[in-house]
Amino acid sequence: MPEETLRPAWSQHFTPDAIQELLSHGPFAGITPEWAWGNSAGKGIRVAVVDSGVEYDHPALEGCVRGGVVVEYDARAKDNYRIKPDEKPIDVSGHGTACAGIIHSIAPEAEIYSVRVLGRNMGGRAIQFAAGLDWTIENDMQIVNLSLSTSLEEFFGLFHDLTDQAYFKNMNLISAVNNIPEPSYPSLYSAVISVAAHEGKDPYTYYYNPNPPVEFGAPGIDVEVAWNKKQYLVCTGNSFAAPHITGITALIRAKHPELTPFQIKSVLLACAANTKRQSK
Amino acid sequence: MNPDKDINEEKLSEQLQRLLISIEASGRAVLPKSNDVLLKSIVDAAARIFGAAAASILLVNEEEEALEFKVAFGPSDQDLVGTKFPYDKGIAGYVFMTGHPIATSNVREDKRFNQDFAKSTGYVPDSILATPLISSDDRVIGVMEVLDKIDATSFNLQDMELLGMFAQQAAMAIDMSQQIDSIEQALVNGLKRLAKSDRSQDSSDLQAALNQALRVENRPSDFLELADLFNDISALGEAERKACLQVLKVFAEYRKSNSAPRRFR
Repeated sequence: MPEETLRPAWSQHFTPDAIQELLSHGPFAGITPEWAWGNSAGKGIRVAVVDSGVEYDHPALEGCVRGGVVVEYDARAKDNYRIKPDEKPIDVSGHGTACAGIIHSIAPEAEIYSVRVLGRNMGGRAIQFAAGLDWTIENDMQIVNLSLSTSLEEFFGLFHDLTDQAYFKNMNLISAVNNIPEPSYPSLYSAVISVAAHEGKDPYTYYYNPNPPVEFGAPGIDVEVAWNKKQYLVCTGNSFAAPHITGITALIRAKHPELTPFQIKSVLLACAANTKRQSK
Repeated sequence: MNPDKDINEEKLSEQLQRLLISIEASGRAVLPKSNDVLLKSIVDAAARIFGAAAASILLVNEEEEALEFKVAFGPSDQDLVGTKFPYDKGIAGYVFMTGHPIATSNVREDKRFNQDFAKSTGYVPDSILATPLISSDDRVIGVMEVLDKIDATSFNLQDMELLGMFAQQAAMAIDMSQQIDSIEQALVNGLKRLAKSDRSQDSSDLQAALNQALRVENRPSDFLELADLFNDISALGEAERKACLQVLKVFAEYRKSNSAPRRFR
């Protein structure tokens, strides 16, 4: 057997014993959740869910889905994929609807776009994923939820380039880290906001981990989520933690449209439940 | 006639014997007899370790764009094996698609969840934990599931992370076993051609299996060397192939009457 170093179990950074208390200094100490997202509903923020699709008419989504595309693998097409419009998106599995439902429950006035890259035709899984991410960059999405990843080493460079492009276009990519002992892209890049699950239930309570690459811990255990065919399911996984941070980021961006991606990460850190504000 | 022919044949014979012995020894040490036995031992261990009433392994069938139950432990285990379903169906399907592990609970009680698929398998679990099987060259080759946590209502994050590590080791063993199976099959085909001196077919199947195997490090190198050697032999002239076949026949006869290969030394 190859002697590989087992990667850390990401969520262990967010167990009650492991959470480290952090101190916010100077002007950062003045940043509170109330300042960051108080009274915000994420109005008008364009959020893409790159996943298995989003069931546009699921009752939990209350009509927040504004459109989308399907990225299909096609060996004969240029770059091996083609993109088709999907004005009334469906979800082929339920996973994307679950993510969209969590985002909508936190940011009810955000606009959700479905970018379906997963499905029966999985001949070019990583290519479809990359093409879907590229579509979000070219189509002015502001936040992208990525509750999927690839372990394929040959895509390291392509995803790195895409996440940099997104960063320079003022986008926030929120990526679920993968609970398997393998590298997963793009969750390990610094230009994304990486998220693992913690045991809490309050959707606004999340933690910052000062030992990245996983940066934030949000609820992801036994979360009741929307599922395709108008269903609901109780699920556990980092896939369901990332949309919580996506929702909160939508709230912050709607209230503070001037903030850049790196400022938003600072705001998220300042408002994390394990960050204490230094009194003046 | 080549005056060194006899000497060369003797050397070839010795080399073959040595390689056959070493691969047999390494094969015995590293791998169970077959892929099925390996899979069965993995799911049995997973069910025990994770306190699950059932466990199963699904491997990807790329031609049919489906996941197929290869082995199962627990209720209705025999009915499940061989069942296929498309990638976009079921818990295992989206674990395969996203590459992310996932756990669900309350499946049986939750009236809002469509249980048709689960019922079609003859077993509706209450809790499921599924994680991708990723080969050492980063391909998702299947999904491993443990079902119905015995002493709790659901699988927790620690279970998820441990199953991820368990699955990593399992995936490497499965991948290696599958590739060795395919090399063995290719070797058998190559030997059959050798016996018939049939050069109408090339040895591309063996070469493809070797190329696939060589992408992954740390497999028994003797085995690959042996396979590679057969590939080379199949490209030699008729006299050489016949000499080689003779050596193998003698070896096979010898093995039938002597179970201890070390006696060649």
